[in-house]
Amino acid sequence: MVARTVTRPLFLEGTGGPGARADRVARRVFLACAALTGGTAAVVLGVLAVGAAQFFAEAPAGGFFAGTTWAPFAEEPRFGVWPLVAATSRITIGAILVAAPLGLLSAVYLQHYAGRRTGAVVAAAVAALASVPTVVFGYVALNAATPLLRLVWPGAEAFNGASATLVVGLMIAPTVAFLGREALAAVPPAYFHAGMALGASRGRVVALVVAPAAARGIAAAVLLAMARAVGETMIVTMAAGSHAGLAWSPLEGVRTLTAFVAQTSLGDIAPDGPDFRAVAAVAALLFVVTYAMHAAGRALLARRPAGSAHP
Amino acid sequence: MTPPVAERSAYPVSPTIQAAAKPMLPGRRRDFLAGASRLAAATMLAAAAGLAGVLARAVWQANGGSADGTPYAGGAGWETIGPAVAGTLWLALATAALALPIGLGTALYLEEYARPKRRAVRAFQAAVAHLAGVPSVVYGVAGLVVLVHGLSAGRSIFAGGLALAALALPTVVATSAEAIRAVPDDLRTAAYGLGATRWQVVRHQVLPAAAAPIAAGACAAITRTAGEAAPLLVLGATSFATFAPAGPGDPLVSLPTQVFAWAVRPQAEFAAQAAGAAIALLAILLGLNVAGLFLRRRLRKVLP
Repeated sequence: MVARTVTRPLFLEGTGGPGARADRVARRVFLACAALTGGTAAVVLGVLAVGAAQFFAEAPAGGFFAGTTWAPFAEEPRFGVWPLVAATSRITIGAILVAAPLGLLSAVYLQHYAGRRTGAVVAAAVAALASVPTVVFGYVALNAATPLLRLVWPGAEAFNGASATLVVGLMIAPTVAFLGREALAAVPPAYFHAGMALGASRGRVVALVVAPAAARGIAAAVLLAMARAVGETMIVTMAAGSHAGLAWSPLEGVRTLTAFVAQTSLGDIAPDGPDFRAVAAVAALLFVVTYAMHAAGRALLARRPAGSAHP
Repeated sequence: MTPPVAERSAYPVSPTIQAAAKPMLPGRRRDFLAGASRLAAATMLAAAAGLAGVLARAVWQANGGSADGTPYAGGAGWETIGPAVAGTLWLALATAALALPIGLGTALYLEEYARPKRRAVRAFQAAVAHLAGVPSVVYGVAGLVVLVHGLSAGRSIFAGGLALAALALPTVVATSAEAIRAVPDDLRTAAYGLGATRWQVVRHQVLPAAAAPIAAGACAAITRTAGEAAPLLVLGATSFATFAPAGPGDPLVSLPTQVFAWAVRPQAEFAAQAAGAAIALLAILLGLNVAGLFLRRRLRKVLP
């Protein structure tokens, strides 16, 4: 963040100099824009808060967070969100186990190994992967990843956690690569040169000198990518299935928080029914978790990287 | 194989010194990151190529590429995906028309008008920025309640456009604010010193200087939301569009939701149609990206 040095001339407001009227109009227009933005955020928050409040008025919060059965529309509804949380956690952790090595090593390649030409080609491929909509990744998970997986493990179900995890990992890898490269690029070049001058190999310098100096940015890259994996909806909706159980095998189907929201809402829910209240409660949980992860990641990024004070 | 010191060094190193230094240099013989990082980069390339290959193969097989040369019924032609293409273009237009001015206005207010040290301003800015991390499906839930049921906008292009605009807004605000913050303060001080009003400073100094990054950020946000399926699915996009939407009141139809609706059907014809729609979607997003690139270059060229 750039430090502000200019004090805006507050005395201009309300004076009748040339252009004062246009200035007043512009200020009001921009304030209205800010109010609209705030209003939009408030509406989104409000809908979730009201829905979640109605939900918790019926279902005890203890059962929601500790229960292990999620069957909100059964004869005897059970509102234990744990199976959904477990599915989201497993897919997120599995995806980051794919994306972190892939993305960070690609970042290292782009920043420290690639020649000009090959670097441009790889960077273009990473950018292209980053701009592919998640529904297209979902198509790939369903039509390419799952058939391939079933070649290797014929016992895999048609909708399974493993292929969704793999493709989510592929989807967030460009995020890790992009942010990781930014973190590596923010390390003063003097660190790299000093390491190389000591005679260490490039790999040693990157691993033992540059990466530790970029640790904060690398952690932020991983955290922000994980936030994306938590919020990822289409791949898991299409490929991971709709069985909200506590399956241990990655070859079985699982249902994540986002998949529950999407799959339930497909069936045209009314805003005063029990299904909407369950959707709102799950959406509110998603909101809180992803918001916190994003805020933590950004906070890590906002701090200056180690050593940048001494270029 | 790492090259010898002499090849990596800017100064000539005699073979004697190299030989003497060899045992002293830790890890010189094997660079473990060289191979691993190349492998990762190759995997990225393979993933991008594989994705394109999967889509192309499905369409090629459907449109006459099959063994007997006859395309499947329906196929992935214009008749099937045309309405969805029109719907996605309408939605992108609505997102741009709503999110761009409101987001830019908000960023200008926060950066140029509001007192930056005030705690409420910073809290508001942070809150809006972190909304960008909230999953898009959540915006769909809010849109369903507020737009479809509350405003009785129905499952229309209008409702979809509003929901996508709300989704793009935090990103547009964040990127615009960053671009405005990057404008050197000397420009502002000089203009204020000449007696300019705030609006004159914004209009003649800040906006021209920040135009290129603002356009790039807004274009990226619009491109990303144009590919979103989850919020539109929750809003209730139709998957049986027989005519192209001609205005904001027409039924909500879009390429991403069409890809979803076709991809989850078990029949092969529908998988091919989904692949065709996915290719059309990628082409539109590429077009938007290229347009953004040109806009950015042009804005940079025209302005000082």
